[in-house]
Amino acid sequence: MTDEVLFRKVFAIRGGDFKRAGEASVEVRNILKEVGFDPEVIRRVAIASYEAEMNVVMYGVRGKMDVKLKSDGIYLVVEDEGPGIPDVELAMQEGYSTATEEMREMGFGAGMGLPNMKRNSDVFRIRSRMNKGTRVKMVIKKNG
Amino acid sequence: MTEHLHSIRIDETKCVGCVLCMKACPTKAIRVRGGKARIMGERCVDCGECFRVCPHEAVVPLTTSFSDLERFKYTVAIPSPSLYTQFGWEVMPNQILLGLRKIGFDHVYDEAWMCEMVSASIAEYIRENPTPKPKISIACPSVVRLVAFLYPDLVKHVVHLNTPIELAAKTLRQKISREMNFASEEIGIIHITSCPARMISIKKPIGLTESCLDGAISVKDIYGRLFEAIKDVHEDVILQQSSGVGLGWAMSGGEVSGINLDSWLAVSGVEDIIQILDDVEAGKLQDIEYLECLLCPAGCVGGPLNVVNRHLAKTQAKNLVKMFGEKSRVSRKMIHRLYKEGFFSLEKQVEAYPIPPLDKEQSRAIQKRKRMEKLISSLGGRECGACGAPDCKTLARDIVLGEARLEDCVFLKKAV
Repeated sequence: MTDEVLFRKVFAIRGGDFKRAGEASVEVRNILKEVGFDPEVIRRVAIASYEAEMNVVMYGVRGKMDVKLKSDGIYLVVEDEGPGIPDVELAMQEGYSTATEEMREMGFGAGMGLPNMKRNSDVFRIRSRMNKGTRVKMVIKKNG
Repeated sequence: MTEHLHSIRIDETKCVGCVLCMKACPTKAIRVRGGKARIMGERCVDCGECFRVCPHEAVVPLTTSFSDLERFKYTVAIPSPSLYTQFGWEVMPNQILLGLRKIGFDHVYDEAWMCEMVSASIAEYIRENPTPKPKISIACPSVVRLVAFLYPDLVKHVVHLNTPIELAAKTLRQKISREMNFASEEIGIIHITSCPARMISIKKPIGLTESCLDGAISVKDIYGRLFEAIKDVHEDVILQQSSGVGLGWAMSGGEVSGINLDSWLAVSGVEDIIQILDDVEAGKLQDIEYLECLLCPAGCVGGPLNVVNRHLAKTQAKNLVKMFGEKSRVSRKMIHRLYKEGFFSLEKQVEAYPIPPLDKEQSRAIQKRKRMEKLISSLGGRECGACGAPDCKTLARDIVLGEARLEDCVFLKKAV
């Protein structure tokens, strides 16, 4: 029964659209608040989904965030079409960033994105292919 | 049924059932039902945005009237620093304080002085409690309610410090009953305020078992009387103790600029506050130590119960800060001692009271949210408000909760 998808919503994310960046993450949190998730779980989803969404906006051409609620928690799959990450292991290190000067001036690209996503999720998987794109799967358990 | 006490009510004899207040409400707490606006108590944070936009004077903020003071033997006025911005460039705070005495208050206290003391205590508090970052100011009662309601996960960011107005009232009550031998109930301590949420924070305070204030008179209600009194004040008594550090609390950016911090952010206006709180929730802004959020645009000077345009008022607040200097007059040593004694602390934790979920049973709540999603797409997103809900999404929520029907949508009705 734990595998049953109780709710699903897919959000489109546009690469380079800094104006609307973060909106999908806000809506995910609002949905979780409406169905009465624990504040601490919401906090973790907020951080994980926001960082994932921002990565698509900053580096991807286009992408989507697929959100599923199951009885044991929140399943997020964020994938994009984009340049891919040359060295995933390196990118997972805190402080490592390939953000441009421009992104940093806007307050992004501190090199904490992927580490924060991992820290705030119970399951974290990342797969990236050069010149194709990146896919991140995160599970945040209700009692994680 | 739980009773939801609020400081705003609708006068049904004046309400014409338009959509303005409903549209302005940041927490979607208003519906128009049976041709009249209704406030849903459990969603209201008493911000007064509805009062601001109502053209028919049908939104009534609950405040104390001047005649209510007759039941006290000894009355004290504590004006918000924003009152000092309401009488033009020439009138100084001290003159306004003397004016309040002239219109009948037995004692008048300069709240800006307590603001100045609290500024110093915030610096101590943040040194001792740097995380989670950023800390959120407790100064604005509507913002604290907004956090407790919409951002339950951020409640732990709110500083565990009492507000200047409550600290002032508490200190004065003790001092007056001790020195002048009045029983507590004989003393009436009244805030002079621009804030529509003040009364609710007196009746139902956050972080305190009870308020030390007895009421709040709105600036607009006392203005005419005070204006006359100020014209010929000739007393040579100094009642104003504060410097620009305390006086600045009247406006956005004033509280933070008087605190010795490395990094801070001041935000005002409800839309911007929601945007910033969304960011904090996503783990951003961690390089900021302290976040001042005042719900009214430009800060308390822009409170809907004030009379002067908020930009004029803010300019006057800036003038006063410049005139009285940005060097704090409080003794650090005294603040340190009071801080250690717990003088500035709240009595209890600020508690979240999150939005009631769509259903007590989570699996049912999720089912309802799923249905809501379908309804939202069929409603079409014209956001007209003719159904009596502020937008299509809220109508969808009301429908799944059984509080509205699909037929309430005038466009769907037309299509059928």
